[in-house]
Amino acid sequence: MLRRMTAILTIVALTGWPQSEAAVSAALSTESVWAQQGAAAEPLVIVVNRSNPVDDLSMAELRRIFLGNRSHWANGRRITLVMRDPDEPERKTILRDVCGMNEDQLKNHFLHGLFTGEILVSPKTLSTPTGVRKFIFNVPGAIGYLRVSDLDDTIKIVRIDELFPNDKGYKLHVQNQVGN
Amino acid sequence: MTRRLKFAFSPRPPRLTPALDRTLSAASRHNAALLLLLVCCGVAVIGAFVIRDLQSANTEAQRAYSGTVQGLQQIGELQYDAQETRRATLYALTTSDSNLQVEYADQSRTADQRVKDGIAKYGSQAKRPEESVLAIRLGRDWNNYLSVRDEVLASILEGSTKEAVSLDLSGGVPAFERVRQDLNEVKRLYGEDAARSQANLVASARRSTWRLVGIHSFTLLISGAAVWAIQRSRMLSAIQLAKLQMEFVASVSHELRTPLAVLNSAADNIADGLVVGKTALKKYGAILQHQSRAMGQLVDEILLFASTEDGTHSYVLQPLQVSTIVESIVAETEGLVRGAGFVLDRQIEPDLPLVLGDVSGVSQCLHNLISNAVKYGGDRRQIVLRALAAPVEPWSGREVRISVIDRGIGIDSSEIDQIFDPFYRSPRVNAAQIHGTGLGLSLAKRIAESMGGRITVLSEISAGSTFTLHLRIAKGEDVQTVLEASRPVVSSHL
Repeated sequence: MLRRMTAILTIVALTGWPQSEAAVSAALSTESVWAQQGAAAEPLVIVVNRSNPVDDLSMAELRRIFLGNRSHWANGRRITLVMRDPDEPERKTILRDVCGMNEDQLKNHFLHGLFTGEILVSPKTLSTPTGVRKFIFNVPGAIGYLRVSDLDDTIKIVRIDELFPNDKGYKLHVQNQVGN
Repeated sequence: MTRRLKFAFSPRPPRLTPALDRTLSAASRHNAALLLLLVCCGVAVIGAFVIRDLQSANTEAQRAYSGTVQGLQQIGELQYDAQETRRATLYALTTSDSNLQVEYADQSRTADQRVKDGIAKYGSQAKRPEESVLAIRLGRDWNNYLSVRDEVLASILEGSTKEAVSLDLSGGVPAFERVRQDLNEVKRLYGEDAARSQANLVASARRSTWRLVGIHSFTLLISGAAVWAIQRSRMLSAIQLAKLQMEFVASVSHELRTPLAVLNSAADNIADGLVVGKTALKKYGAILQHQSRAMGQLVDEILLFASTEDGTHSYVLQPLQVSTIVESIVAETEGLVRGAGFVLDRQIEPDLPLVLGDVSGVSQCLHNLISNAVKYGGDRRQIVLRALAAPVEPWSGREVRISVIDRGIGIDSSEIDQIFDPFYRSPRVNAAQIHGTGLGLSLAKRIAESMGGRITVLSEISAGSTFTLHLRIAKGEDVQTVLEASRPVVSSHL
């Protein structure tokens, strides 16, 4: 319960949302949604560098980005993918809910893309959430994912299909180890 | 005696001006206090200067340390952190492990924050305008480098090593070089500060040394001069005393020779049978008696002086009635006064209290004062003997004053302090061939002081002198004690 409250407050602090009484109510209702989903589920947040102007991505765009099919942002910056180590729950969530692939399929996809020149850069793999956060902080075109509880103000959250992680209908959730 | 004294005076000391001699003589009375004062002043002045110089040197050293040594330490740390910022960035180039690259980036950013803090601190501590300008320039150049560094780090983390190297070579190196030059400039300014502080410290130390040497020299000079003045003063006093003693010997010889000559002549005349008849013999007998008594008195006076000089003479203090003493001394000196053609007028206040003194001492004092009045009484030949009770200032008690007043030649004010010195004879009375030993007043003063009293003098040239013997009034217990312990003696004088 405490961890969820911390996560809510973190998101509120980082995004400046909710800014209205209604939004606050929405955030509180989101907490009840998490409760309905069980103690094992935690939103997985898509994060970018604070200088990145992108605030919202569709799930389809997110898929293209994480499959390396989109190499540059709208401002011309090269997109650098940041992934966690294989077998990490966060990575599994992205593979399952965004890429729709398993580890081997993703590996083959990138090998093929790099070989054919369709993909320019393979994803960077970092072993800790702190590493992910620092990487994205240092690289203007980086995009990655973190649990809500790993967020801080050095990075920026991106909405998916205009939904914040604590909004109802948000699709990316990582299963905690306890739940597994 | 004369030969010995002559030997003692030879060689004579170099003569100084009479004014200086008088000054030194006056200084000799206060030589100990003068020397002590000079030494105290010297020590106090030296101490004050030494303390001030030590404080000054300490402050200068502290300022030099805090302003320069610590400053150089800070700039050293600043240089190290700047190098660390760049070094950590370049280390990220050496690996393809993103985790390590992130660590190096983190190290670089931690170091660059320390540099920013150091630059801000330098700017806040800047004292000179050029330091403030340099701090602003350093901050600007550092930010320029950091913007390049951020791009380089981003390229490294993205995996674009070639682009990172290119960015660093084209922007990072020159930007960092400007920072390095700025830091060297900061170091140079610190060096200038250090040199200036060191120069100030050296100058302060040199100044202190010279000041101390000067003060020591001055103090030594003053002390030497004081010692010389004191020694010279003592020597002059000794010479003066010896001279007075010689004059005393001559005077005593003369005083003895006169009655001796009279005695000799009278004896010769009697022996040669020139004195015939009872009347003539009676006259010669009276002459012999008078002259022998005069010689005896002179010898007694000398012996008394000698006894007061070595402290062997003591006085028995007892209550005395002033009128009785006065009557006694008037009777004793009647022959002397009348023989010299003087008139002695008594002005005794009635009902005077008893005074504390020794009969012979008081008599001797008054005898000497009346003798002096006769000697120096001039042509008006009038002496007043006045006794009265008066308050003692500044105390609330009272005393009895017995004054001997003459209308004679008077005493020069410059000689007033010397007339009570043993053997002192005024040049004026010597010139006037008024004979004397120079012991009368000295004796009177000593006797008076031995009895707890004193003698004062008021005089004016050609108008006369007033010598006053101040005696303490006997208290009730004194009277009682004497009445019980020494009734026969007291009763004989009261």
